[in-house]
Amino acid sequence: MREGEEPRAEILRFIRRGAADDEIAFRHLALSVFEFQFAENEPYRRFCERRGVSAGSLSDPFEIPAVPTAAFKEAALICGGPENAEIAFRTSGTTQGPERRGTHYVRDPKLYEAAAISSFRRFVVPEVSRIRVVILGPGPQLAPDSSLTWMLERIRREFGTAGSGFYVDEDGLMTEALLGVLAASEQEGQAIALLGTAAAFAHLIEFLGGRGQHFRLPPGSRAMETGGFKGLRREIPRDEFYAALTRTFGLSEFYCVAEYGMTELCSQFYDNVLRERSLGRSPELRFKVAPRWVRTRVVDAETLEPLPYGAVGVLRHYDLANLYSVMAIQTDDLGVAVDGGFEILGRATGSELRGCSIAMDQWLTAQR
Amino acid sequence: MADGAALEGYWLPGISEAPAERLEHEERAFGPGRVPIRVPVLTPRLLRSQLSALRDGTDRLRAWRSARIVEVIGAASRRLVEPGSPLREHLVEVMPELTGYSRPMIEIGLERMGDGWTAGALRRALEGELGSTEVLDEFRPRPGGGSCRAFGPALTFHVFSGNIPGVAVSSLIRALCVKSASFGKTAAGEPYLAVCFCRALAEEDAELAGCLAVSHWPGGSTDLEAVALEEAEAVVVYGSDETVADIGARVPPSTRLHAYPNRVGVAVVSRRALTSKAAPTLVRALASDVVMFDQQGCVSPHAIYVQRGGAVAPLELAERLADALVDLAERIPRGPPSAGESSLIHQLRAQAEMRGATVFASQRGTDWTVILEERSGFEPSPLNRVIQVHPIDDLSEALTLLRPVGRHLQTVALAADPSEVGDLAGELGAVGATRIVAPGEAPWPRSDWHHDGRFQYLDLVRFVDLEA
Repeated sequence: MREGEEPRAEILRFIRRGAADDEIAFRHLALSVFEFQFAENEPYRRFCERRGVSAGSLSDPFEIPAVPTAAFKEAALICGGPENAEIAFRTSGTTQGPERRGTHYVRDPKLYEAAAISSFRRFVVPEVSRIRVVILGPGPQLAPDSSLTWMLERIRREFGTAGSGFYVDEDGLMTEALLGVLAASEQEGQAIALLGTAAAFAHLIEFLGGRGQHFRLPPGSRAMETGGFKGLRREIPRDEFYAALTRTFGLSEFYCVAEYGMTELCSQFYDNVLRERSLGRSPELRFKVAPRWVRTRVVDAETLEPLPYGAVGVLRHYDLANLYSVMAIQTDDLGVAVDGGFEILGRATGSELRGCSIAMDQWLTAQR
Repeated sequence: MADGAALEGYWLPGISEAPAERLEHEERAFGPGRVPIRVPVLTPRLLRSQLSALRDGTDRLRAWRSARIVEVIGAASRRLVEPGSPLREHLVEVMPELTGYSRPMIEIGLERMGDGWTAGALRRALEGELGSTEVLDEFRPRPGGGSCRAFGPALTFHVFSGNIPGVAVSSLIRALCVKSASFGKTAAGEPYLAVCFCRALAEEDAELAGCLAVSHWPGGSTDLEAVALEEAEAVVVYGSDETVADIGARVPPSTRLHAYPNRVGVAVVSRRALTSKAAPTLVRALASDVVMFDQQGCVSPHAIYVQRGGAVAPLELAERLADALVDLAERIPRGPPSAGESSLIHQLRAQAEMRGATVFASQRGTDWTVILEERSGFEPSPLNRVIQVHPIDDLSEALTLLRPVGRHLQTVALAADPSEVGDLAGELGAVGATRIVAPGEAPWPRSDWHHDGRFQYLDLVRFVDLEA
């Protein structure tokens, strides 16, 4: 038996079907994933050793050393080394220039795919098996190293009806074609799922607004947005954005779902609202829910100690689907734990650095 | 200060005493301690009347002897910084909560900055630039015949930054020394010290204190700023490149702008300065440069370039630096960083570690960090006591690495053999540095320094030539 094979089969089963007791299964699997990664992932092993942690020394999965996302910019964090990678996803690398992009080497796309499909089904299309998937983003040809594109392509294949596709080409968002898709959906009464970055949605909303166009998409239509507002002139407050989303496409807010994912993680997080609605409930709070094979902890940004509900800190994820890279990831996303999930409050970038000594972000901007 | 009572965050002698104008106030919380501070709700009309009173103040100031102004300022600043004086004791109580700097840091800061506010220091600085203080009082003969007299701006508008307490006071003092009344807009990060200076000055001389006004308004109050920018003859701005560019774009063409934007500092250590005997003192000095004001100053070092081949190797220097930072973390604790600052330090530590750098870091939290590695270019530190140590073979490597950032470079703490200093200083100056000091002195510019390479007083004044 190949090393790591056993946790792989168990994790796949856990992702697809769950376990008798998810909590016990998670703890057991997390510890065996750590043993495996400690043995197979060289840079991670050294990272752990420098912190005095070794295989067999832990009984609590939440004591497994978490690797800050920035580490992916410098080291090939993959079990068995980068020659075993099937895919290399790159971070978009906004402020630090192209040479400083992080790389997540993925050795087993099956795990990634299982995680992506399971979560999407649960949180975005819980009540339908297929829908026309309209993606406001570039396809795999145009964005071969984007994990988001890769995931959306899996989703298109798994859930998309004929006519599903990507609506960004070399010239950008294909607004005229999208106008046709939206009009046809409205006329024919065929529900669609609009998926894309918040920036792409904002662009489309602005385009449609400029023409005075509004749609009342048929019932069952939905929108999934992700990834913030990079590349836009200004950041739009979330309430304003959701109001525009519902107004422009005639969607209920329950059918507008935010996704939160990152290049360094195989798993994604979605808003609770659509799933709750599909179960006949009207959720009062919108927050992110971790899938059963992921645990998210909010930790103090300074001490990295776990924080109680309601306290603002940085998010740390333990993702079993990251079996072949690093399971425990320390992000710089600010968030707060709530009953049943967490809320994201933005990024802790340090750009609020005080004073006349040059700030990191400004510096990097100036150097571009 | 009674418990819970708000501090008065303004000094507006031109309007707070005018009964006709009823001043509305609001209370806002400042600093990590969320200290309540009361500030007036200024309107363009109220601001205009204060500025008009300040212009009258300049007219009265012109009848003062410059030497006398300097004396009064010196006496007032003693009230601000002398241990035992009520104002100083009040400041060391409230400033930590307001600024986030620890009490020992505030105490040291007041003491060292106060050295530059004495009558003697101010006189030396003025004379250094203007030749004599009398040229501010009367026409003085010129070597080629005729005479000239220096006039300060009729009104100076200062926009302060919040990083280093005391810079605002120095700025007001400089304008006062050249007989210019000033309006200072304080930053949210340090809204109080300048106000206290005005109070100290009022205790010495009400007329002089009437030539200063200080207040705070929220960022983006462009209507108020438009009034101040229009009325002022000179504008002094401290802050980020962004702030400086924003204000600069709104300064009328006829108004003089004195801008102090982002700068970086570094240290350079020659192997000839790394003798076993000199090393302990040198390490303490370098650590102190890093620790003072938690690296937030434009004078603070981001990186130390260390030449290999000295009696103390770069690795040992980094280790000893770490020990010194531990020691200083106890004596002069760091202020609480924001979540973003802490997170960035954790991320950068891991990134450096994965790159193969040797990282010495506080066990818990982000109190201090030393990152030892070779780099092919200059990288800014995330500050808050994160110092990068870069080994080099030849001192000229430091010059090459710094050349691309020359226009941002300000202070270089240089440790070298006396026989090397002259040449190295010349080369660093050619690269862009404007201040070269011994390690340990980086945070404390002399009162007569050329801030960012410019004159502090000479740039403010306008000379009137009398050719008769």
